[in-house]
Amino acid sequence: MLNIAIVFMVLAQASAPVHKRAELNGVWILLRSNTENLKLTPAGEKLRAAYDFQKDDPDMRCIPASFTRVMHTPSPPIEVRQHQDRVEINYEFMDVKRRVPLKAQLTAKQAPYAVSKHPHMGRSVGSYDGETLVIETIGQRAGILDTLGVPGLYQSDQMRTIERFTPNGDTMQVTVTHYDPVYYLEPLKVNYTYLRLPDGKILKWDCKPEEATYERFLPPKK
Amino acid sequence: MNRTIAAAAVIAVLLFSSGEAGLAHHSVAANFDASKPMDVTGKVKEVAIRNPHSQITLEVAKPDGGVTEFFVEWSDKNALIRRSVPVDKIKVGDKVTINVSPSRRLSNLGYFRTAQLPDGTVLRDCGFAAYRDSVQKGTKITC
Repeated sequence: MLNIAIVFMVLAQASAPVHKRAELNGVWILLRSNTENLKLTPAGEKLRAAYDFQKDDPDMRCIPASFTRVMHTPSPPIEVRQHQDRVEINYEFMDVKRRVPLKAQLTAKQAPYAVSKHPHMGRSVGSYDGETLVIETIGQRAGILDTLGVPGLYQSDQMRTIERFTPNGDTMQVTVTHYDPVYYLEPLKVNYTYLRLPDGKILKWDCKPEEATYERFLPPKK
Repeated sequence: MNRTIAAAAVIAVLLFSSGEAGLAHHSVAANFDASKPMDVTGKVKEVAIRNPHSQITLEVAKPDGGVTEFFVEWSDKNALIRRSVPVDKIKVGDKVTINVSPSRRLSNLGYFRTAQLPDGTVLRDCGFAAYRDSVQKGTKITC
């Protein structure tokens, strides 16, 4: 009788759904990206129309505008390192080192700045939804959201962002949804597909503002 | 020969016309016109392999004497390393001819395509798309 019970227990365990953690560890390069559902409010339209990269693009001053902008840069890869209590995402572009806590009881509001060197990028908290890593970010400072995928997109300090990282063999799908009623009539969705870079390493970016600005091409001001 | 003269004329127009208007935004495809490649010949003044963009500064002879600077923007240092581009073959003081995609708005700027070195060899950079394809296929980068 006991033997039968054990067999049933083993069978029941084997047929139970397995919630395996997303396997995202590694270095990834951008394969493609696209922006969906771009519906700007009048305030968003106005800012986009007035956008001038020479004056307004923070990248020209070596400041990473947002994670969305950072991920749009095609050549520098990103690295994901998963730990029991946190996820580290190291973006080669602008040397952005992001730390995302995975504590269940922690809200994004309570989380520390995701990038200690760049508090304007907000506070992030992560969790797993089956095979997908989900990151919520709030507290992003008002300013530029994107200068490359769709140049001249802005964000308000009310923006809430949900990122979903899902592995698929040697590719990783990242879906970013921005909820910002100040500049967007509907949630803005940005999709990225990354490709695993075997034996990839993140190199130092070491951006210097005087080498990044377009002013270096212009004649000296009189 | 005709092509060289035409290219020289284009360069002259670009070099000596005004063009300081701000660019719409910051991306290679948006800022440089790949459909109008042109040659720029000059003496290498500086080679700066760096992030976010590398830069070669050429001293180009002006038709009426003297020289003017032409800037060749190129990929970031890290990408050039990953693509194994032999950038050290471009040396300060050498006379080179660099084929560029001209800037859409700045007359003294182009984006690197190839460089003809003093010994006649051509230095190529396959670019990020070719690199990405090589990673995807698990093959060596070619262009």
